[in-house]
Amino acid sequence: MFYQHLKVALPLLAMLLSQPATAGPMGFDESFMAMGDFNNNWRESFINYAITPRDALGVSATYMRADDKSKSRTLEEVTYTRLLKRWNAPHAQANLWFQGGIGALQGEDKLVGENRDFDKVMITPGVQFDYETTRIYFQAAHRLYRATDINHDYTSLRAGFSFYESDYDKTQPWLILEARNMNGLSEKIEITPMLRLINKNFFVEAGVNNSREPRFNFMYIF
Amino acid sequence: MKKLLLTTIVAATLFSQAAFATQTIKANVNGMVCAFCAQGIEKKMRALTQTKDVYVNLKQRIVAVELKDGQTLSNDKVKAIIKDAGYDVTSIEVSEHPVAHIKAELESKAEAKK
Repeated sequence: MFYQHLKVALPLLAMLLSQPATAGPMGFDESFMAMGDFNNNWRESFINYAITPRDALGVSATYMRADDKSKSRTLEEVTYTRLLKRWNAPHAQANLWFQGGIGALQGEDKLVGENRDFDKVMITPGVQFDYETTRIYFQAAHRLYRATDINHDYTSLRAGFSFYESDYDKTQPWLILEARNMNGLSEKIEITPMLRLINKNFFVEAGVNNSREPRFNFMYIF
Repeated sequence: MKKLLLTTIVAATLFSQAAFATQTIKANVNGMVCAFCAQGIEKKMRALTQTKDVYVNLKQRIVAVELKDGQTLSNDKVKAIIKDAGYDVTSIEVSEHPVAHIKAELESKAEAKK
């Protein structure tokens, strides 16, 4: 019975692993991607290098803070990104990604009467699915941020549209709406409408969230 | 003798023109919906020693690679680069027009459709 399942699973796995990659949280083969995601309570910077068309290794630094400022964390980790599956259609593309990391988490909890500091090992496995055409965009991501007695799992949904199609070498503006939540750091869902500008060289987003806080993201491949 | 010399000169000129006629490999590609994502195709193509110019058109789903005079590049190599960049080639052909001509032709077609 086990071997029958294996006979089915192995070819599927081979198919998933056979697709080359770019787009999303890594660049093309033998390129570096730098990315930043910044607001008052979440500041993440990472850089990775595509060692194959579908795999990238990198390092990341993240600062996390609770809405009420009672908790703060810094996480430095090594990361691995892999394209699990890609679908190419004439005017659309969809991708399924794995992103994961392992690293050092330092934290401070401001409790009544005392502050508690800690150092722990954190792991951050997650998946991301995205679908886009030249006019619409959708992305769903879920990533675990786990250490002993710590759960800051992160979930985000993004959807948006472009105001018009652009030539390859022109900048294209988009309106993107994101809803995200960080478990254990925020009780609410953060909603951020953003203006995205994208061309062949850079990708930037800027907006203001439902707490009236600024948000800025960028990606750059070199 | 003069006729032979003249014939030789004309033949040499025609031969050299034929040998160094513009050659552009033109591929139809699926999945190219984002310039930031498709930059890998252009960069990898431009890195080839045979490449004179590259044109990417997202709307028409075209990647065109113009070769330097006297250079050759196989269709399979172009397909492999595009596939490694994360896209699928649905058809590929060789054109005797330079990238500038292909670009002008596609842009005038797009204008005519408006």
